[in-house]
Amino acid sequence: MRRQGAAIYLRDLVAVLTVAVFMFPLFWWVLASFKPYTAIFSHIPNYFDFTPTLRNYGITLLGWSRVEQDLTSGGVGAIHGGSSSYYSIPSILQSFAVACGSTIVALLLATPAAYALSRFSFRRRHDFVFFILAQRMLPPIAIAVPLFFIFRDLGLRDSIAGLILAHTLMSLPIAMLLMKSFFDDIPTDLDSAAMIDGAGRVGCFRHICLPLVRGGLAATAVLCFIFSWTEFLISLQLTTQIRTIPVKISTFVTSTGTEWGLITALGSAALVPAFIVILLVQRHLVRGLSLGSIKE
Amino acid sequence: MLRSETLRRQPISSGPAPGALALRLPRWLTAEHPAPWLFPSLALILAFGIYPLAYSLWLSFHKQNFFTRSMDFSGLLQWQAAFSDPRMWGALGTTLTYTAVCLVAELVLGLAIALLLDVDRPGYGILRALMTLPLVVPPAVTGLMFLLLEDNQYGVLSYYLGALGIIDPNKPILGTTALALPGVMLTDIWQWTPFMVLIFHAALRALPREPFEAAAIDGAGAIAAFRHLTLPMLGKVIALAVLLRGIDLFRIYDYIYVMTSGGPGTATETISYYAGKIFGLANFPYSATLSIITLVVINLAALIFVRLARIRF
Repeated sequence: MRRQGAAIYLRDLVAVLTVAVFMFPLFWWVLASFKPYTAIFSHIPNYFDFTPTLRNYGITLLGWSRVEQDLTSGGVGAIHGGSSSYYSIPSILQSFAVACGSTIVALLLATPAAYALSRFSFRRRHDFVFFILAQRMLPPIAIAVPLFFIFRDLGLRDSIAGLILAHTLMSLPIAMLLMKSFFDDIPTDLDSAAMIDGAGRVGCFRHICLPLVRGGLAATAVLCFIFSWTEFLISLQLTTQIRTIPVKISTFVTSTGTEWGLITALGSAALVPAFIVILLVQRHLVRGLSLGSIKE
Repeated sequence: MLRSETLRRQPISSGPAPGALALRLPRWLTAEHPAPWLFPSLALILAFGIYPLAYSLWLSFHKQNFFTRSMDFSGLLQWQAAFSDPRMWGALGTTLTYTAVCLVAELVLGLAIALLLDVDRPGYGILRALMTLPLVVPPAVTGLMFLLLEDNQYGVLSYYLGALGIIDPNKPILGTTALALPGVMLTDIWQWTPFMVLIFHAALRALPREPFEAAAIDGAGAIAAFRHLTLPMLGKVIALAVLLRGIDLFRIYDYIYVMTSGGPGTATETISYYAGKIFGLANFPYSATLSIITLVVINLAALIFVRLARIRF
């Protein structure tokens, strides 16, 4: 009995250590965002031996002047960095607009399609589902290259609408498969009963099924949002003026120096909305990431 | 599908109501047919998914005129160039190594951690929630995170690995040919092992209890139960995880872009990154050819895997 007790504590210890190892990069990242310029560039790991500063958040989120900040605090950082703007609120707003826009469009298109995939039987339906999954196999660059030309011709390059369209395209297959799995959960008897009572297909969809998949809709929306919020390659190739957050952060790596303080600050700030929404739909996360094929 | 068959029959009262506009649409345009439901999504996929693909294919048989910038038909020129391009084969090899190593590491670690955290005791719920956090970090940011950790002079990871004598402190991880790819792989493994943990944990929860109780009565140890019960019963889920993760691994781009730009030399250049680089150099036809090669390899591998693993959708 005693040995078993020890085994349980050992397991707790291993579990906590494992999770701690996975949390360490995040911890280090957030810690770095509060460090003054010199503390980041320390040869020996610097945990708490520094005066916390809000300089990095001030510059990226509040538009403080970087040069002023560094001159008043020793001026070490002022040598580095190009003339690019570090104020990132426009980027955050653009990212937010693109993520919300593409989530809404993807849900509007995917929900009826998923309902059809779940409720109608037609020839080669399974092949059709695989075809939708296959959309996920396209290398992002294979979409980015032609989209670049198509958007240029349509005048959609460097526009929020264009990015919304591109991101919708990325999340649509996932949204369809995921919503299909939620519709599959609703017993078809409910549809039959409603239709015997005289409801049409559309009535069935609107008044019976849609209210029952509200939770699923929320989960799908969150996943679409996160896909768009974290997407990098397409946004990078299709825009020059508009900068979504991941692209904006990557511009802080300049040939004259990497602005680690600003990168970590903006990076940490960008994690907050994603963390919040993921905690809200934790229950549905597994299903979302496995494209609806694993139910918890 | 029995349930759908019964639903396809017209309900008794679905004829046009008396006094309704007696306009008869063809059946495939009514709500009783799947076409109108699917059409908007399908239109978008065709317009911006399939058309670009066709465009890429078209591009891959052309070549841009240097002076007039028009696209001239060039037959199989790009394809010949691709197949005799040692850099393409190198990138393909790097991609395969990357995919295989990360996939195995993430599977094994993911399964081990899922088993480790599969306990109903206070605190374990929080541990599992924490494990999902890496999944929502934008990959480009994750790349930068590890760029900082693996920095030769200021990186914590480099410091500790150097202090332990695992790496030579004078050689930067991402600047040394032999270490750069493992350095990027570590990033991938950090971010995506939680994906496996999440999926396997859900699958473990869904396993029936009886076989395990029977095995315990028969005196089977934990390891035997794992090998002969857990592993076979998780087969389907493992296959699915391999498929989904394998597809994404093969298209790896973000980490390479922010961490190494394919270097040193071409040590970390994956096929997707190479195609992106060529695109950046404005050689659009060759870039399109490379992306089509990537697509074909992924599709073939996925198709064979789906057959072999008997995955049904």
